[in-house]
Amino acid sequence: MLRYTVKRLLQLSVALLGLSLLLFAWFKALPGGPENRLLPENATDQQREALRASLGLDDPVWVQYGEFLGRIVRFDFGSSLSSGRPVATELADRLPATIELSLAAMVIAVGIGIPLGYLAAKRRGTWLDFTAVSGSLLGTCIPIFFLAAMLKVVFAQELGLLPTAFRLSAGAQYTDVTGLRVLDGLITGEFDVAWDALLHLVLPAIALSSIPLAVIVRITRASVLDVVGEDYVRTADAKGLKPATIRGRHVMRNAMLPIATIIGLLLGSLFAGAVLTESVFAFGGIGSFVYQATTERDYPALMGFILVIAVFYVVINLIVDLSYGFLDPRVRVRK
Amino acid sequence: MALLEVEDLRVAFGASTAVDGVSFAVDEGKVVGLVGESGCGKSVTSLAVMGLLPKGRPAKGRKASQPVQAAASEPVGPAGGGLKAAAAVPQAAPATGRRSRRGGGADVSGRAAFDGVDLLSLAPAAMRRRRGRDLAMIFQDPLSSLNPVVPIGRQITEVLERHRGLKGDKAAKEAAHLLDRVGIPDPTRRLKEYPHQLSGGMRQRVLIAIAVACAPRLLIADEPTTALDVTIQAQILELLKDLVDTEGTALLMITHDLGVVAGLCDEVNVLYSGRVVESAPVRELFARPTHPYTIGLLGSIPRLDLGIHEPLTPIRGSIADVIRWKDGCAFAPRCDRVAEACVAGEPALRGDLHAHRCVRAEEIA
Repeated sequence: MLRYTVKRLLQLSVALLGLSLLLFAWFKALPGGPENRLLPENATDQQREALRASLGLDDPVWVQYGEFLGRIVRFDFGSSLSSGRPVATELADRLPATIELSLAAMVIAVGIGIPLGYLAAKRRGTWLDFTAVSGSLLGTCIPIFFLAAMLKVVFAQELGLLPTAFRLSAGAQYTDVTGLRVLDGLITGEFDVAWDALLHLVLPAIALSSIPLAVIVRITRASVLDVVGEDYVRTADAKGLKPATIRGRHVMRNAMLPIATIIGLLLGSLFAGAVLTESVFAFGGIGSFVYQATTERDYPALMGFILVIAVFYVVINLIVDLSYGFLDPRVRVRK
Repeated sequence: MALLEVEDLRVAFGASTAVDGVSFAVDEGKVVGLVGESGCGKSVTSLAVMGLLPKGRPAKGRKASQPVQAAASEPVGPAGGGLKAAAAVPQAAPATGRRSRRGGGADVSGRAAFDGVDLLSLAPAAMRRRRGRDLAMIFQDPLSSLNPVVPIGRQITEVLERHRGLKGDKAAKEAAHLLDRVGIPDPTRRLKEYPHQLSGGMRQRVLIAIAVACAPRLLIADEPTTALDVTIQAQILELLKDLVDTEGTALLMITHDLGVVAGLCDEVNVLYSGRVVESAPVRELFARPTHPYTIGLLGSIPRLDLGIHEPLTPIRGSIADVIRWKDGCAFAPRCDRVAEACVAGEPALRGDLHAHRCVRAEEIA
């Protein structure tokens, strides 16, 4: 298992290195170097040359890449062009909100998707199966910003059941521990804060969960259908085991293998896809930051975002791979 | 009274009939063979007795005794999921082996009395309490019949837990004892291993250990040696024979291998196209095969005393060349001795100890 972990880690660092190379190339390929942005328009060519030299832009490309690599390893993405604050600080401030939102969406998607997919498979051909399958098709088709806006209009504005925006009610006092407000409230014992944060989380999380929920329902259904036809499930049945045992130990443990992979990939895409939901609900996560950075061509901010997302993906992939080893003994042993 | 009495068992998958009125009995401590080629209904028969077939529509449920052809209106293919036998059956839909959209349940009728209780009419929960305890099954493919992600120890102890109430160390100890009983060396260490770490023969031994874990009175073995090497086959058959001899377990042996029948069985039922075409004590069958199909099966066995250039004598045609039993003998299209009388109507099973379903039996003999 240790060997496997180390091997996976090595593979992942190669992936990250490749990504840094891509980003560097992208950065180099951008038109009009940074000197045009930093100097006034009437600056002389000599001034430009001097600045280029001082920024190290005249060094050989590999030297520049080395420095670039050195900076991003230290999480130094430079300063945001629009706010002037370090990109790393900006991201760190907003990351917890996005993580909280993504996790909440994933909890909904997994919590509903797996049981629903299982039931759809077990009652294949019934109205329940039909509803689940066509519902999941709908889920992947509805644009997220539309769904988010509709949820907001119906449940927050018209019915007034849930808050319309932000992470907490105005003027709420809270103690920051992890940055995940619901968790913080539970840790510090401020249950009213946790409840308030949870209410604010419901609509954005539902909106964001629509696509992963749909995907998980379909994958679970297909995977369960695959597994229930397996000989070992018939063996379990021939043992006279209780249906719950057959379901848990024999069907779901095998059906979980592809589902686990998909959950990992979805979590990564949720993180990146939270942009739209966050902007509808003014959630104050990484999404609104990226939205702003894109419109203002804030390259350092964008690069920081891309790197963070990439690292996130890579870490999730590692977790998925390791969980695979945990779920499937055949992977564990293979050298 | 026999331990298991199957009477007029019929199984249909939608429009196709897999088992068409099969009757036989298994006495305590006896080994009974069900013999026939792929698709004759032998596996479906055993699954029906075990209650392991996918359920049909409740309206035509298990107790229904009307002719199975009544279900012909629904255009479903034969059920998938290992029910290979349904594929090549007379009226089988062209969609061989494909799962039908609506589950493709089986319509089962007839009687399968185990110790006087009709298994086919038992409630699912009651049947589950018996399965694995009173009657157990060993499957054909040891490679796919064990759960790949659960240690084999757990796959044994879960039966002990369910039917004998053994837990924890007691169950583990008993599981080790069972592995030892089926001839697996170093059983305590093996308990923690996964199926992929064992050889095919070992896995079949594990499946046998699972089947005999609760000392069932009836063991059903569905081609337990088909997927194994010849040397391993002999060992597994030896093990089964030993279990039957020492525990007094009745064994229903499903096979296409007449060598297995000769070495193991007390009585034999030869199946063709969903019906018993000949049944007899094993010596009698080999000494005086009566139905042309049985004769053909015996004739197609390679013999050591013939020269290597002697061609084998196969039964011509394939199991797909059939006519419906009610129109005549289903084997007629492949039979060398076919006559007018053969296709003049439904042939009856005649005889008592040695029964056969051939109208020309007397002429042939």
